[in-house]
Amino acid sequence: MKQKMKILWITGLACNGNSHSFLNYPYLEQFLNDFEFINHPLFESAYTLEEVVSNHIACDILIIEGSISSELFKADLNFFEFIKRYSNIASKIVTVGTCATFGGIFKESEYKDISGLHFNTKNLLQNFADIRHKTISISGCPIHPEHLANTLYAIKDKILLQLDEYLRPKEYFAYTIHNGCTRNEYFEYKIDNHQFGKKEGCMFYDHGCQAPFTHGSCNKILWNEVNSKTRAGQPCHGCTEADFPKANLFETKKNMGIPSFLPFGVPKRTYLTLAGVTKAFTINRLKKELFDD
Amino acid sequence: MIKLIEKIEGEAKLNFSFKEDKIDFVDIEFLQTRSIEKILEGKNVLDALVINPRVCGICGHAHLIATVEAIEDCYKDIKISNKAKIIRELTLNFELIQNHFKWFYFTILPLFGYKQAILKAATPSQLMGKAIATIAGQYPHTSYAIVGGVVSDITSMDLIKVKQYINETIRFFEKNMLTTTEDILDCNNIETLLTQKGDLPLILNNIFKNNWEHLGKSYDRFIAFGENSFFTKGKSLKTRRFSNISLGEVEEFSSKNSYAKNVTFKDTYFEVGPLSRAIINKIPLIIDTHKEYEDSIVSRIVARVYEIPQLLNHTKKLLNQINLEEPSYIQPKIDIFKIISSGSSAVEAARGSLIHKVNIENGIIKKYEIITPTQWNLSNGTRKKLGVSQKAMIGLKDEKIAEIVFKSFDVCSVCTTH
Amino acid sequence: MITKKEQKKNDIIQCSLELFASKGFYNTTIPDIANALKMSVGNMYNYFKSKDILAKEIIKFISSYLGKKLREINELEISTKEKTRKIVEIYFKIALAKPEMIDYFLRIYLSNRDVFQDGCEGMICVNEFVTEIMIYFEEGVVKGDLRDQDFFSAFGLFMGYLGGMVFLKGENILPKRLDEYIDDISFNIYKALSV
Repeated sequence: MKQKMKILWITGLACNGNSHSFLNYPYLEQFLNDFEFINHPLFESAYTLEEVVSNHIACDILIIEGSISSELFKADLNFFEFIKRYSNIASKIVTVGTCATFGGIFKESEYKDISGLHFNTKNLLQNFADIRHKTISISGCPIHPEHLANTLYAIKDKILLQLDEYLRPKEYFAYTIHNGCTRNEYFEYKIDNHQFGKKEGCMFYDHGCQAPFTHGSCNKILWNEVNSKTRAGQPCHGCTEADFPKANLFETKKNMGIPSFLPFGVPKRTYLTLAGVTKAFTINRLKKELFDD
Repeated sequence: MIKLIEKIEGEAKLNFSFKEDKIDFVDIEFLQTRSIEKILEGKNVLDALVINPRVCGICGHAHLIATVEAIEDCYKDIKISNKAKIIRELTLNFELIQNHFKWFYFTILPLFGYKQAILKAATPSQLMGKAIATIAGQYPHTSYAIVGGVVSDITSMDLIKVKQYINETIRFFEKNMLTTTEDILDCNNIETLLTQKGDLPLILNNIFKNNWEHLGKSYDRFIAFGENSFFTKGKSLKTRRFSNISLGEVEEFSSKNSYAKNVTFKDTYFEVGPLSRAIINKIPLIIDTHKEYEDSIVSRIVARVYEIPQLLNHTKKLLNQINLEEPSYIQPKIDIFKIISSGSSAVEAARGSLIHKVNIENGIIKKYEIITPTQWNLSNGTRKKLGVSQKAMIGLKDEKIAEIVFKSFDVCSVCTTH
Repeated sequence: MITKKEQKKNDIIQCSLELFASKGFYNTTIPDIANALKMSVGNMYNYFKSKDILAKEIIKFISSYLGKKLREINELEISTKEKTRKIVEIYFKIALAKPEMIDYFLRIYLSNRDVFQDGCEGMICVNEFVTEIMIYFEEGVVKGDLRDQDFFSAFGLFMGYLGGMVFLKGENILPKRLDEYIDDISFNIYKALSV
């Protein structure tokens, strides 16, 4: 019988959204044949939480969900101690979710110095610097189940992944949420008359969509295999990024009509020139409803 | 003795006191808090639509609906189309259904010596997730319900897809959880249910074999605040029902030792959840079960599982009521930044009534209060005035059986420690 | 290094600007321009296939020229107030040194929309110039110096004011030299637009 890789999945200040998102992985049965959990927030495991904190149990991968703080305790063990111990035992660490990677929503909770494992929003931390070489970050609020499953399989098969500056696999995070959105044409031709509740229109201009400057693959690998927020009509709120959440998430901040945040890597002059050109023309098809008679 | 309970969407500590070999008091301690109510202060109230689902990874959708309704309540006369109302109720029902499946197959089975059935929890949950995502873009963590309606412009093909997911889930329920000779929704009799096939009768018969069928009884006092096309609000003292209840008499207060707050209605502890809803709604099967077993673990388990086929059936009806011609979203006449007001809402989440209250000043949150169902059931009272689950555990022989009773309430630690 | 062909194009444009300014747009013909440059008409058509095409190329040329000057100002590390002054200054400087250029913009481009409607829709032919104005505004707002408002309200105020002054100069109504108005005008503009 082939050996299953052993994973310890621990949670700090979390909502467990990543654990539940992972349950949507379509090939869970196969996954559970290949991996076993020595402890997990939902799944039955070989050891109880108390046994895990009282011993040094062998494991291959340490998964951390939720933001961390030196003031946090798990089963009476200091959370930093918990991480230190098992990051030494495990050969790979995966931070699962924006909270564990950057601090996320709960970085404003009332514990001391809440952050992600290696990053506090955009800032690289010195804490745990010695295990950074072992870490892969999967940001997202929540994560996409395929990101995690495939990353774990890559670890299992000893495939070296290309990682970005935040240790996120470029396979998923080199894309932007904008890639593959069904509303792209409205963006391309700068048609800025979006209204909520309509399948037409681009939400970047007025309704706060952060897709053009958010890393991820939501419109490439869909959610729940069927859809994505922007396709459904909800603006992207930038949940994979280091500074999630920004403020005023349903509005586009503009300075004299020019969006504050532009698509990644597009210089201001380029954007404005293109915007100026496209705004001069009217594309009738895109002014009408998609299902127009 | 202290028992750390894990896998309840987080953890909790139960500190048991024994007297003459029986539990004579349990202190319930929740061990951390994320201070979300504080995080919300000073923020643009519309941002709460994004933040609040993150209170909880398994019932975040209930928080979304409670949030949008609380904000809309601040307007005092906002118009939402019927289509948007129905869509919101639909997706919320899908979340309730997957919660119940997960509770049964993750939490209940192992309590009775069976292996956790991960795939039996995941399969219907994935289907319900797809149903939600077809409408709301993704699940978990969508904020598709916004002030004025919903963002989704769904089509008749979307409804066909959703119906397929519902039908598949019904088939799954019938094949695994409860296979009945007649229509499950016509079943009025607990004795008949016990003779059917499936994982539910399996567990129930296990309870009877161990003579546990009368364990876990508490005050037999129920309350539900959320009202929609399926649930009615009200309270019930045993089966004496009263429909006139007001949020104004709900009080939240800190408990010793724990990060979770206690909740009372008119200074009294009440049970919330599927059993509570079924008693208030007069569901025949549950009334029959309650007649014999009152508010024991049998009634709680049957009530929770039975909500699944009821809600699945009801969501199909709701689908047919959607008029696609109506607008999904109606822009509120008044800008949120001009609003100085307060609002509240109550929705029935999987585990019971979820209450949100918000105070806004020019669109900025001054105060936000969240009261979760687990706070009701797991209020950490005193020996003189026990909380609902505390009372249910008093008199039990050991902490193992106490854990069964504790988990029959379907505990959500993260919600409770928001 | 500019090619010979491009240099020739620029010469044609410069010559056309001067003739349009002195004789008027409709009174100036391609043969007139060719003549002034001692070119054959056939050769002229090698560079610009028609007068309309020439007209559009000229406006793009001017926009590019002004745009480059404005970009230099935008890229300076100075305050918004100083940038405002420099923009007014450069505009008036060009109005004095190359009056035919500003004259073309005001009297020909703005006044003969029919010539430009096909191929110069909206503001596409003055894109480079408008982009720099947009950047000046946007950076001013980001810095907290300029009031956030609708782009066109601010644009109309700035450009209308400058254009108006140049127009008055062209009508010989202004008692003082154009550059003597720089102080007052930049003060007024900054006061109107600032926070």
